[in-house]
Formats: sequence, structure tokens, C-alpha cells
Amino acid sequence: MTNRKSFAAIAAVLFALALLPFGVSGYVLGLLTLGFYTAVFAMSWDLLFGFAGEVNFGPSFLIGIGAYTAALLNHYEHWPIWACVVTGGAASIVAGLVLAVPALRLSGPYFGLVTLVAVLMLQNIIVLFAGITGGEIGLDLPDVLSIDDSNNYWIALTFMGISGAILFGLSRSAVGLILQASGQDAMQAAALGFNVTKHKLAAFCISALFSGLSGAMLIFYEGTVSVGTVVDIAVGVQVIIAAVLGGRRTILGAALGAIFLIGAGELLRPLGEASTFVVSAIALVTILFVPGGFLGALLHGEKR
Amino acid sequence: MKSSLRLMLAASVGVGLTLPAIAADPIKIGVIAEVSSISGAAIPNAAKLAADEINAAGGVNGRMIEIVEYDDHNSAADAVRAFQRAASQDHVHAVIASYVSEVVLALEPWSGRLKMPMITPGAASDVISHRVHEDYAANKYTFHGYMASTFLSDSVCDGVKAIAGPLKLKNAVVMSEDAAWTIPLDAEYLKCLPKIGINVMDHIRLSPDTTDFTPIYNKIEGLKPDVIITGISHVGVQPTVQWHDQQVPIAMIGISSQATSSTFYKDTNGAAEGVIYQTISAPDVGVTPKTLPFVKAYEKRYNITPAYCGYTTYDEVYFIADAIKRAGGTDPDKIVDELEKTSYVGTIGKVEFYGRDSEFTHAIKVSPEYIGGMLVQWQGGKQVTVWPNDIANAKIKFPGYIKTGTN
Amino acid sequence: MKLLQILIDGFAISSLYGLGAIGFTLIFGVSGVLNLSHGSIMVTAAIAAWVIAGDLGLGPYGGAAGGVAMAVALSLLTYMLVVRPIQTSSRIAREEKEIFVLTGTLLWGIMIQEAIAYLFTSNPKTVRPLIPGVIEILGVRTPMQEILTAVISWVVIGLLWLLVNRTKAGKVLLAASINPRGLTLLGFELPQIYFWVWALYGLLAGIAGLLLGAFLGVSSDNVGQLTASAFSIVVLGGLGSVTGSLIGAYVVGYLETITAYSGGPSIRTIPVLLLLVLVVYIRPQGLLGRR
Repeated sequence: MTNRKSFAAIAAVLFALALLPFGVSGYVLGLLTLGFYTAVFAMSWDLLFGFAGEVNFGPSFLIGIGAYTAALLNHYEHWPIWACVVTGGAASIVAGLVLAVPALRLSGPYFGLVTLVAVLMLQNIIVLFAGITGGEIGLDLPDVLSIDDSNNYWIALTFMGISGAILFGLSRSAVGLILQASGQDAMQAAALGFNVTKHKLAAFCISALFSGLSGAMLIFYEGTVSVGTVVDIAVGVQVIIAAVLGGRRTILGAALGAIFLIGAGELLRPLGEASTFVVSAIALVTILFVPGGFLGALLHGEKR
Repeated sequence: MKSSLRLMLAASVGVGLTLPAIAADPIKIGVIAEVSSISGAAIPNAAKLAADEINAAGGVNGRMIEIVEYDDHNSAADAVRAFQRAASQDHVHAVIASYVSEVVLALEPWSGRLKMPMITPGAASDVISHRVHEDYAANKYTFHGYMASTFLSDSVCDGVKAIAGPLKLKNAVVMSEDAAWTIPLDAEYLKCLPKIGINVMDHIRLSPDTTDFTPIYNKIEGLKPDVIITGISHVGVQPTVQWHDQQVPIAMIGISSQATSSTFYKDTNGAAEGVIYQTISAPDVGVTPKTLPFVKAYEKRYNITPAYCGYTTYDEVYFIADAIKRAGGTDPDKIVDELEKTSYVGTIGKVEFYGRDSEFTHAIKVSPEYIGGMLVQWQGGKQVTVWPNDIANAKIKFPGYIKTGTN
Repeated sequence: MKLLQILIDGFAISSLYGLGAIGFTLIFGVSGVLNLSHGSIMVTAAIAAWVIAGDLGLGPYGGAAGGVAMAVALSLLTYMLVVRPIQTSSRIAREEKEIFVLTGTLLWGIMIQEAIAYLFTSNPKTVRPLIPGVIEILGVRTPMQEILTAVISWVVIGLLWLLVNRTKAGKVLLAASINPRGLTLLGFELPQIYFWVWALYGLLAGIAGLLLGAFLGVSSDNVGQLTASAFSIVVLGGLGSVTGSLIGAYVVGYLETITAYSGGPSIRTIPVLLLLVLVVYIRPQGLLGRR
């Protein structure tokens, strides 16, 4: 597919999505709204893992910092939503820097473990200061984006569209190529004169920014913030599965995977509690037999 | 930390129970609960039982009751999504939601935003009804169908006062889990225990994620109290088993939600022996003529006795149906008006709600005349009632390692 | 008194951690796999024992045997259904195998966890203790089960040591962890060795799960924490080093116990996490790891 053709295809899909509220029920919109925010999480993660080659187990550390910063400001200081969201995104960048600067010296499982520990620490801190943060189950917010399903949907779609365009554009730019090269062979990339660490750091910050913004938006959609929605390891796992399922190093595949995961959960609703089991099984079978993910399979056929 | 690696599926996952096609539109009641826990599972179970009975008797003005179930995985966010789905997709007319205060507190603003009458059968935090009192217009759709925490503590204190003499209870340690519902609970414990002549030596709040309770029991034992006053719900099996295995020589009395279910004995391998818990209905005592038939029907259908919120849920389906009948339709404001007028004798006693003048607006009235507490003890694998004396059918008895009452 | 208490409690919990982590590190040493379904396998052993001993009426010993057998079977399934297909897949690039094994075993672990929650609810279960009762050790009342936990852990660790150092099979195992390629040149079949390592791992994880179930009780909600804890211990001790993992287990076990007794149970894991971060930054190969 040429760039022009895929651009046209994406524009057509986005346009069709924008018209959806005129045709489908509120709950489907609500589901997609959630899918769109999750899609931004997954795309941010893909930029870091797919291109920079770092196994980041901690997407929910960045998401959680953004979400809780925004939530606390809204709950206690009654800041307007937009200010909370922007501050949340900024806080995620700061947290991302604190985590990334020392961690990027590490590789493989060690980097993975540090990101995992970051999530556990954040979770511990939130639970420990339950008096302020609401602890395990969370804090409810005085403000919500909108109580209208269609408005929420359009807000999320716009947000995903803009984030996706920036992340995708970045991945296709020179920066993306350098990241990709460094992810596959850091030594060689460095030998070619690229400052690998600087580029990885940039990727981490951008990943952090969009994770944080999306986390903050999500909680203002739901009107509540809790460890279970934005910090728990399970949240990070879902993000990773979405990206791997949709196809790594594609950015857009990650979005596809996220929306699929959310949708599959709903389609399997009649299975009750067993639905999580089935979704995990589908994801496992996919990575075993179609390792390139949905988009990988779609774009390249069976490449390898 | 909540360490579940469970894939947090965004969609609330539940099973819609479809009834045979009928002429008139059914009245739909949404039920949101954590289905994989003992207490949570009792909520949809009891709701279905009540709905089937009402339907078998002809329904409400010819309309059948349909229960729509949602699993919230004990997550506030999943519960909010389930609530949104219930309102905008499944068009339910009322919601019965959760036994977890944090979940109910997250739903409360949504019940106002979406004008959806909601009642909780098992959450306890005082804040639920205080919010209705403080901002009636916004929160009037929320009802609190279980004892508020403060009343729970008072009920425990009443019971302890009655048994303190023979058991020689003088000093106590309060041990409760860190959660929204125990904040008012503990505050009231610390007030009411001294009033009945019990000295509180220490007040321990434990994280619901605790798996090893040895250090806690050690600390408590070092203080040599006569009794541990409990406030636990999210935890239950592990502290009980470790209390038993380590032979902590101090009786446990208080709120222990998981102990209310009959599976508790099996889950703890019998360690529950001797545990005394406060509740509002027990499987062996006819609080009202409706209690025992309900327990029997529930046991027949599900093979276990109902957890505490099973009783309340069962009653709630009935009085919601009555309110809709009186309202002559499903307009949410009319349903709220009629629910406020509820005066219904159910399995737990006489249900009425406090009015706007009370700080517990829309919470169930608590007093011997309406709904009173009782103390139940696990003895030989059975739940027997030990207080109040007029309905008690057994004497308090502890396993050998417990020294309470012997010195 | 309190010191003695900490000494005894810490020893039991550390031995248990050690047993759980040894299998985890063994798999990494021999086949380079971090098995993120570790916690699920431990919990399965405990829940299976609970069901077999109670519902099926086979008593504590039948339950224990059945639970461990379940863990071994599940471990082999993990290898054959998840790990091996990824390792041998020609469609997955070599540098990506790691993330695929991590994601694959993670998903597999979630499936097991959900299956347990679905079939037996997520309520904690306790395995009936093999020996009930308590004894006094210098004035500290200690459950027999706690002593048994430490004893069994160390007997199993001792047997493992004998196996690795005193038998031919063990030496092959050791060689496989040092230089798998060389071993194939000597005519050994690697897949066969892997099979036995996974069986051994299942045995270790199963026993650890069982003991945990009897000592503290387990629920399907503990899966993630158990995996994270094993991961932390082996990184602390050095990935692939059995001795390192044991030392790591005692450091973690005692640090947690001391924290729980002096600072309170709610901050129990925090010092460990801090220590872990520190070690990873200062000495990423861990206490005894090789790079």
C-alpha cells in the first residue's frame, strides 16, 4: 500500500467512525469510547517497545501518574478538566523522565523488571495514602467530560485521531527510523553516529505524554479513578496484549488491537465470567500462529 | 496491592437472564455485583429467586420482572460501565448494586446523572446516605438498603455489652481492614466500646492485601486483650485460618462479612469454629415469617445459605416491585417517591427509610422495631444465633485454644 | 522475644520463597525463559489439593499428591503448548522471541487464573495442614505447619542439590544451563532435556504452592503477586543462579518480615521494591549472577 492510499483509507475509516453516533446505540458508543482511550495507551506503548525495542511492563505507571494527578487536582482543588488533563500529561512526562534516565542503561529483563517495579511502587503508594487517594478502589470525580454518549464518543475519537496522527507520523519520520535501528542493533546505530539514548529518551517522553493525557481523559469520561482502571498490572497487560495482537511496529495496529480487545469482551458477554479466559485464549492463539498481529498479516501477508 | 493479573476487560461482563416472551414489557432490574466472591454472588442469586417468585405469582400489574446481571469484578470502573450500559442500552428501571462501599460511592453520582433509582444491598459506608442528605436533588435516586457502618458498630456494641459479663470482657483491640466502610465503623467502635465499659487497647487497620497476619496477631497477643473486635469484609478466610492455625487465644467478635456465608466453614477448613459475627439475618432464626422460607428456597436452588446481602437483595426486589406498582409506571422520580414511602416486612425485619431530615437520608431505619442486629457464632460447622437472647438458640462456645472467658 | 519471632517466621516464609524461585531460575538458566505463568502454576497446585482433599474426600495426603501432580502436568503443558511453539516458530524473529515468550506465558497464566476463578471463585482457599497443632519454640508459639513448611522446603532443596551434583542427569542439566550448544554436539537432545527441566520445575512450583496454601492460604487473585515476587527474587539473586535465588529469597523474606513486624504489614513489600531497584541499578547481574 502506498502512503497516499493508506492515508485515504484511514481518513475514510475515521469519517465513517465519526458518523457512527447517528446509527448505533449509546452502549456501543460507550464501548468504543473506552476502546479509543485504550488505543492511545497501546499506540504509545508501541512507539516505545516496537520502535525503541524496550520491553516496557509499566505502561500503567505512566497512565496512572497522569490519571491520578488529574483526579487529585479535580477532586481537591476543583481545577477545570482541561487544566487537570494538561497537568496530568506533564506529570507523566516528569515521571517518565525520572524512570527512564537511569533505566535506559539497562536492557532486556532488567529494564522490564524496573518498569514493573515502578507500577508496583505506584500502586503501593496509592494504597498507603488511601486517605488522600481513595486507596484500592478509588476516588470519584466531581466533574465529567459529558454525560451524553455521543459527545463522549466524539471527544475520544478526536483525541485518538490527533494522538494517532502524531505518534504515527513520528514513527515514520527520521526519528522513528533511528529508533527502529537502535532497537534492532543499538551498537550499530550508535556506530553510525546516532545518539541512541537521546532518541530513546525522546520516545519515552512522548510515550509518557500520550499515556498520561489519555489516562486523564479516561477518568473524566468515567467520573471515577481507581487503581483497577489505570494502575493495576492488568491494565498494562491489556495494553501490551493489544499492541502485540494488532501488530507491533505499526502504531495503527496497536489501536486496532485495543478496540478489538474491548469489543471482544462485549461480544463474549453471554459467557459471563469465562469471557476473560476466552479473550486471553484468542490472543494467545493469535501470537502463536500469526505473530505479526492483525495489521502485520494484513499488510505483509505471511512475510517470514 | 490488588494483585490480580486478570485482564481487565472493559466491558462489564454479565449474563442477561431472558425470560419467556410475554405480552407486556417486563420491568427490568439491573444487578451489579462481583460474581466471583461469596458475598457478591449472593446478590444476583437472591434477586433471581425473588423475581421468579413474583413472576410465578403473576408479576407486577401483569408485567414480569426481568433481572439483568452485570459482573463488576469488584472494580469501580467496571461497575460504572455496567451502570451506563444498564441505563442506556438495556433500559433497566432500577439497579441493585454491589456490597462494596467504594463501588457504590462511584455509582452514586451516576445514579443522579442518569436519573436511575439505585439501592445497595450490602455496602455500609455512612457517606452513601450522608450525600443524599447533603445534596438531595442530585443524589435522591440512591437508597441505602443495608445498615450504615455507624449502626453496625452500635449493633456490635449492643451485643458485646450483653455477653461481656459471662465472658469477662474488659479489654479489646479493634482490628479492621482499610476501606471506606470501616472509617465510620471504627470511629463508632472507638466511641461505643468505652460506653459499655470496654477499654480499647489498640486500633489496628490492616491492608486488604495482607496475606500474612502473623505479625498482627503477635502484636495483638502482646497486649493481652480479652477480645478482638473485627471489621472485615474483603478479607476473611486468611485471617480466620491463621487465627486458628496459630491458636491465637483471643476470641474474635464483630463484623466478618465472609463468615455470613455457609461456604465459609469449608473455605477455612473449619477454622471458622468459634468466630462470632454480627448480622441482620441468620439461616436458623426466623426474624420474620419470611426469613426461613427464603433460606430454604435459596439453599434448595444454590446449595448454600445466602450471604448477608442475599437477604437484603431478596427484600429489595420485592419492595422495588411494590414501589413500581404503587407508582403505576417506571418514571424514575415517581419510583423514588414511592420507595421513600416503603414500609415492607421482609426477611430482615421491617424496612423503612430515614427521611430528608435525618443525616442518614434514604438509609434503612435501624432499631429493634425495624431492623436490629444479632450475633451469630460458628459452632460445629453450623451458624447458630447467640444474641439477642429472645431469639438465641445456642450458648457461646469456643474451641479449646481460646482463653477468653476462662481467666 | 520479638526477635526470635521474626527469626522463626522469616525463616519459614523465606524457605517457601526459595523453593518457589528455584524452579523459576532453573528454567531461565537452562532455556532462557522467564515463565510469567509461574504464579498460576503455584496457585493451581494449592487449589487442586484443596478440591481433591475436600470435595473428592481423599484427605490431606491425597490432596497434596494430586496438587503436585496437577502442577507438573500444567508446567509441561506450558512448555509444550506455549513456550516450545514460540521457540521453534520460524515466523518470529530471534530478537523478538523474548517478548513473545513473556506475552505468551503471561496470557497462559491469565487463562489459568480465570479458569480457577470461574470454577472455584476467587475466594482464598486453605489447604488442610498435613500436621495440625502448635508447639512452643523458646516461648514462641509456632504452628506445626510453619515448621513443616521450612523442613519440607529444605528437604526438597537438598534433594535438588543431590540431583544436580551427584547424578548424571543432574550434570547434564547443569551443562545445559552453561552451554546448551555444546551439549547438542555431545549427542544430547535439547528438547528432551527441556522436557525434564519443565517437569522438575512443575514439581518445585507445585510443592511451593501447596505449602503456601497450607501456611497462609491462596486465591486466584494472588497469581500476579507470586509471579512478581519470584521474578524479583531471581533478579536480586542473579538470573539463572540457584544459590543466588536462595540468598535472594532469604533477603526478601527477612526484609519483609522485619518490615511487617516493625513498620506494619501494609508497607511490607516496599523496602524490597526499593532494594530491588537499587540492586538493578548498581549491580544488574544480581548478587551471584553471571552476565
